Amino acid sequence: MHLRKNDSIQRTLALLVTASLLYIPANLYPVMYTDALGSNEASTIMGGVVLLINLGSAPVALVIFVFSVMVPSAKLMALFYLVWTVERHSALDPRQRSRLFRIVEFIGKWSMVDIFVVTILVALVQLGGLLVILPGVAAISFAGVVVITIIAAESFDSRLIWDNMEDKDSVN
Amino acid sequence: MGNEIACQSCDLLVSVAATKHGESASCPRCGCFLTKRHDDALRRVLAFASIGLMFLVFASSYPFLSLSSSGVESAITLIQAPFALWSKGMPEVAVLVTAFIIVIPATVLMMMLTLCILINRGRYHSSLLPLAKGIFMGQKWSMVEVFLIAVIVAMVKIAAMATVTIGISFWAYAAFAICFTLATSNLDRYQCWQKIELLAIK
Ligand SMILES: [Zn+2]
Repeated sequence: MHLRKNDSIQRTLALLVTASLLYIPANLYPVMYTDALGSNEASTIMGGVVLLINLGSAPVALVIFVFSVMVPSAKLMALFYLVWTVERHSALDPRQRSRLFRIVEFIGKWSMVDIFVVTILVALVQLGGLLVILPGVAAISFAGVVVITIIAAESFDSRLIWDNMEDKDSVN
Repeated sequence: MGNEIACQSCDLLVSVAATKHGESASCPRCGCFLTKRHDDALRRVLAFASIGLMFLVFASSYPFLSLSSSGVESAITLIQAPFALWSKGMPEVAVLVTAFIIVIPATVLMMMLTLCILINRGRYHSSLLPLAKGIFMGQKWSMVEVFLIAVIVAMVKIAAMATVTIGISFWAYAAFAICFTLATSNLDRYQCWQKIELLAIK
């Protein structure tokens, strides 16, 4: 029983730290390069959002901003927070924390959207010397962040949120 | 017996004996969804899974998207999309993308078909449990709906530089995504375990 507890928390924490480290290059390096008539332009994930705003597609820019910028960072923070409260045997509203965990589980895969966009653009935009799109290294680190955070959420045992409550009850 | 579920998210034992056809139950302690009872669910899962697989075959056989700019044209099929990443030096990402949008969802649907056929035969089979586990694990890694949104975003991004045309495969993939969602939403985890348990006892 106690073994299961330590194991789940430690694994989740290790995965979260790895994902957070990968998250830095994922945002600093270009996720794709646009080669148009000899001029080469690199764009980061955030740069892609700015480009969409400049193109006048605010709703699509918002979609990418939410799924590629807000969701991954919010997800990492939420999981760190959940691990921390379980470690401290916190009595903070477990129902609320349970709900937070279910949201984290549900939205995880939506962060892959930008990687899929790069995949489609790279494959489709191959117009000889006119226009070519190439993938950037951030695509690897970002895909890594998404996959590792999904595994982290998977390894977090949400029953631990309630185990602590039972511990507290039996003490009283 | 067999009418109690241990809530997946908090381990509370909840009785679902009173749940009738078409009704759903949630955990009273943490609010997590538990089960929705559908007496003819397996027939629907079988139908949506087989139609979905047919749409996926269609989606893989025709042009997915095509692009033209100043007389130069390029078209891709669904399979070619991740393959381009592979040839541009990103095999890891290419493998992940292929798995998330084609291989895992297709495997999930095939496992659903096998599961439904085996349960319908009314005899216990040792592969039932691993199949069910595989289906629920695979659902978490299937990203068909995410890919559809990505296609739309990609089209908006290139629209400024070139003309994009949607191919017939895109519509087939969208239909596949709908069938996939309907098949997974009809296969209830608890009902599934219960059916397998009943066959095991028999
Ligand atoms: Zn519960």
